[in-house]
Amino acid sequence: MSKSQLRFWGVRGSYAAPFRSHLGVGGNTSCVEIRSGDHLLICDAGTGIIPLGNELMQQDKIREMLIILTHYHWDHVCGLPFFVPAFIPDWKIDFFGPGDNPQSIEEHISAQMQAPYFPVGTETWLAETNYLAPKDDGFQYGPMKIDFSNVHHPGITYGYKIEINNKTIVYASDNECMFIEKSIKHRSDEFNEEEHELFKEMIHEEHQSELNLIQDADILIHDAQYTPSDYDKKHGWGHSCYIDTINTAIDANVKELYLFHHDPNYDDAAMEAIHKHSNEIIKEKGASLICHIAKEGMVVDI
Amino acid sequence: MGKTRPAVIGVDNSPSMKKLLERSTENLDIDLTVFTVAEEAWSYLQSNSTDLVILSNILPIKDGLTLLKELRQLPGQEQTQVIIISSKDYAQDRVIAKELGALEFIPKPTPMQTITDVVVKYTQANLKNQDK
Repeated sequence: MSKSQLRFWGVRGSYAAPFRSHLGVGGNTSCVEIRSGDHLLICDAGTGIIPLGNELMQQDKIREMLIILTHYHWDHVCGLPFFVPAFIPDWKIDFFGPGDNPQSIEEHISAQMQAPYFPVGTETWLAETNYLAPKDDGFQYGPMKIDFSNVHHPGITYGYKIEINNKTIVYASDNECMFIEKSIKHRSDEFNEEEHELFKEMIHEEHQSELNLIQDADILIHDAQYTPSDYDKKHGWGHSCYIDTINTAIDANVKELYLFHHDPNYDDAAMEAIHKHSNEIIKEKGASLICHIAKEGMVVDI
Repeated sequence: MGKTRPAVIGVDNSPSMKKLLERSTENLDIDLTVFTVAEEAWSYLQSNSTDLVILSNILPIKDGLTLLKELRQLPGQEQTQVIIISSKDYAQDRVIAKELGALEFIPKPTPMQTITDVVVKYTQANLKNQDK
């Protein structure tokens, strides 16, 4: 079994937050590296992929990688125009993400590198780039088995399940938990008794569907962008309140949860308060879940 | 000879939504068929015409908007009437659905009367046993 590690290169959502008050947690947007031997899997390509690219240029063992994208919102692709290995001829980069075919994946990725938004296009990438065809039943990358599901976020967005070394890692950077339950509660007065009964079933079904993706995960990296007060204002924006993320992780018997996709308005002190409250919730529920704040530079042995 | 009953297709993997569709339309003179995955609906639609498709956005494997996109490329299905009923009703999803010709985008949870009204609106369905 090869030595396998996971490393957080970018943990912010929405936009980069390179502010002095935020650097304990980190300011780069979504990017997580999973490395097993010489196999390099990169989850999302936010600004965090820029320092990862710079580090890769300092070594000569690895020249290939697979980049899996949850979706194409800026905070998940905006590091690619500055990802140095893409511009070097002897590198090989495979991409996978939502799309009807390899051409549409390529179009989504290259769209941000066009005039008037950027000076050079992806035709300046000298690395061999491949866009993988959509797959219905997952795929294998070296020792990693990769599956994906549609999650609750604007447009088509995937959550990924990666199995490696008999461990299950789930990466769901953007996902609004418990959406239907909150919508039903919010509009409760509109429904008759029969509808209430049906909607009770609907809440259960949707919750079960959410649990299916993350059930028994050893490591769950999940959207936890908002505090309850911010979530009240941003219900329907496609991101979770950290309390909902924790409760869903507990229900799914997750072992370790990394709260992820932090709001760029939250400084280190705010993140510390979220962590403290998260642990109080877990303790009150008597759950065994271990909860971390995902921080830039954090390395996890798999 | 009387008019054939409107055919309505539901595509939703939620058993409670299937019940909701059935109960909302039980008094309407329509043929309702509910598929739980996009692939089943796709097979059906390749060789059958329908008066209305009621489509969820989040489905296992292939999502509803991708199914709708593929449906529009299928000869004879370019103008098929489609409405989306989904809990995933973000503005961006609504825009994509509209571009693909969806007539309405109705958020879940959906009251039964809303479903009844929308089916009648787009199929002109009669009540069962009503004189034609």
